Amino acid sequence: MLSLNNICKSFGGVKAVDRCSFKTEENEITSLIGPNGAGKTTIFNIISGLTNPDSGTIRLLNKDITGMPAYKIAQSGISRTFQLTKVFRNVTVKDNLLIAKNTSEAEMKKMLESVYLHKPLDAIASELSYGQQRLLEIARALLKPHALLMLDEPTAGVNPRVRQELKLILKNLKKQGKTILLIEHDMDFVMDISDKVIVMNEGKVLREGKPKDIVKDKKVLEAYLGK
Amino acid sequence: MPQTSILPQLIINGLIAGAIYALAASGFSLVYYVVKFLNFAQGAIITFSAYMFFLFFSLLHLSYILSGILSIMSSILLIIIVNVIVYKPLRKRKATNVVLMISSLALLIFSSSFVLAIFGSTTKIISSKNFNRTYDFGIFTITAIQTTIILSTLILFFILFLVLKKTKLGKAMRALADNKEAAQVVGINPERIYAYTFLIASVLGSIAGILIGLEQNLYPRMGVPLIVKGFISAVVGGVNSVPGAVIGGFFIGLAENLGIWFLPSGYKDVVSFAVLLLFLLIKPYGILGVKARDT
Amino acid sequence: MIHEYLIQLLTIISIYAIAVTSLNLTMGFTGLINLGHMVFFGIGAYASALLTLNGVPWYFAMLIAGILASVLGIAIAAITARLKGDYLAMVTLGLVFIAIAVSRNWISLTRGALGLPGVPDIIRNNFYYMVLCMSIAGICIFIFYKLINSQTGRVFQAIRDDETAAAVLGKNTYFYKIISMAVSTFFAAIAGSLLVHHINFIDPTIFDLEFLVVIVTILVAGGLASIKGSVISVFALLALSEAMRFVLVSPALIGPVREMMFEVILILILLFKPKGIFGKVDV
Repeated sequence: MLSLNNICKSFGGVKAVDRCSFKTEENEITSLIGPNGAGKTTIFNIISGLTNPDSGTIRLLNKDITGMPAYKIAQSGISRTFQLTKVFRNVTVKDNLLIAKNTSEAEMKKMLESVYLHKPLDAIASELSYGQQRLLEIARALLKPHALLMLDEPTAGVNPRVRQELKLILKNLKKQGKTILLIEHDMDFVMDISDKVIVMNEGKVLREGKPKDIVKDKKVLEAYLGK
Repeated sequence: MPQTSILPQLIINGLIAGAIYALAASGFSLVYYVVKFLNFAQGAIITFSAYMFFLFFSLLHLSYILSGILSIMSSILLIIIVNVIVYKPLRKRKATNVVLMISSLALLIFSSSFVLAIFGSTTKIISSKNFNRTYDFGIFTITAIQTTIILSTLILFFILFLVLKKTKLGKAMRALADNKEAAQVVGINPERIYAYTFLIASVLGSIAGILIGLEQNLYPRMGVPLIVKGFISAVVGGVNSVPGAVIGGFFIGLAENLGIWFLPSGYKDVVSFAVLLLFLLIKPYGILGVKARDT
Repeated sequence: MIHEYLIQLLTIISIYAIAVTSLNLTMGFTGLINLGHMVFFGIGAYASALLTLNGVPWYFAMLIAGILASVLGIAIAAITARLKGDYLAMVTLGLVFIAIAVSRNWISLTRGALGLPGVPDIIRNNFYYMVLCMSIAGICIFIFYKLINSQTGRVFQAIRDDETAAAVLGKNTYFYKIISMAVSTFFAAIAGSLLVHHINFIDPTIFDLEFLVVIVTILVAGGLASIKGSVISVFALLALSEAMRFVLVSPALIGPVREMMFEVILILILLFKPKGIFGKVDV
């Protein structure tokens, strides 16, 4: 589905991403984990075209998308959310969704229900709580036609109730057989939901494998806990 | 096309204009660098200070030095008032940099309307025999005031760079410019540093106003085109860099005056704008500027 | 007399309504800070004046004026679309001074500071001219209304609120920014064209920044991203500005005091009621 090959990116001499390669498979949840500053969000920005890599290639559905502008990559089939939620603040929930896809009110309402967002369509986005804005952003990303969904720390920074809801949403998406690339810090949850886990540290891929192999790995423990 | 013999004179004229643009640009870019918005009110300071100097020197017949000091002090007072009444409350309610910019534009135009209401629309001239003494070097001539402009701006920039590079205040400014949250964590009070930034910028603007007033004529809108030249210089030099703004100022001053080789002098503004567009197309972050890292 | 005065006022109000709502399209709905809006207005006025003075029919002149301004608007938007928003503000403000320099110095075309007198009327009868201006204003407002409620308008507002998010939803934000500028500058030029046929004269002072601040004040007072607010605000502030004429004794003071009134209103609104009267947008 998505494959990264030798991606490198430096910011002012600091290597944020260093020869990073990995693949995601169709109908699987692939999780990126690693300490803060490991380069996970930079990888997300590179894949979605917001940051250009210094070198390396990215392929999506067997098409080279390296260096394409963000909107073209989005049109090629990537949908994503952000660590700090980005909703269109001054317009209604409905308009937020309509930008993603010109669709019927019924489909929008169904989508809101599936992400547990109980707000009228004509509510202004800025009036939603932060957690609700996160749900709206996910609904928007889901509505946008896509092959791969990328979620950047969906459960971070929201209250425990919304966090539970988000976990439920993800489990439902897994049931539906969605292809997802996920950044997540909650280890128990990652190990529970992922098909494949990629551990990053200092811009490099440290390990990749099935969750049960990753939990036992000494190197991963070191990256998290220090030697 | 004029003869090559006027080249040295054009270069000298370019340096004089450049010094003035660099002064206007440095204050503008200092505020942009630290406080992060386009402060067009810097042009209001220039106009205000020039008219204050006219008031003290030409109308009240005080000495140059005293008039200069009083003008600078009035400008500082003005920026303190503007900061307390307008900018601080706006920052307090977390207004965007667009709101701050529009309010500064309103202040700039307000200043020219205000000066127009008080002093009238007729051009004012600050005249003094001492300033108009001309030195003839054969290949070019330069007046006493023009020499003063170039020398005093060079000294000012030297002091400015020392303040930015060596003092605690300069370090705090750079820390704040770099990362506000991190700066607050290490105990820097942004409001205090912002106040100092405006103060330094107003001194630069005030001196620019006085020097321009001495060299050229005064009119209510004088600050407006100057601040436009100031920001063009700042963009060309790198809007996030104060040394860049200074280099940009001299660059624009020279480009405009050398442009007279090809174009009538009324088109000076067109030359600087063409340079601006050229830079935006080829090198949008300026000669010394670096693109702010996107997060 | 009162009748004639009202006709004059309503004509001016219609022209301002086009100028303000078209600025609202870029500034309020798309978040593009175009400080050169009055340049496009002035280009429309100059183009229309020069063409009709040379015998071109007014409707054709008006169309060419609009297209000329729009082409310049597209060029400016294309140069700055990929840069931070501040750059558009700076370039468009710089454009104001280019307009002043060119209109003052291209004497063979514009007669410089002397200006162009004798610009022909479109309709000699003032009442019918007022009706024409009001109709064009009505059409223009209708078009804006339709535009902002379309998918294109939704993308405009998405760009204003979060350009990155709009891009990752597959929207070519550069393209939409250019479209927004193209439409806005076209109508700014139409407004300028209507003004020049009303006052029958034009000179470089049309580009003065004071005029921009008046338009921005009306826009912000009515509320960004509210077309209704813009229209009501044009009525309210122009009426207030007219009232100043009766309060002030010294005629020399009317100009600067009126300008100061607008500037003070602008700052007060930004300080105390940043959403304006009808605005929805958080600034």
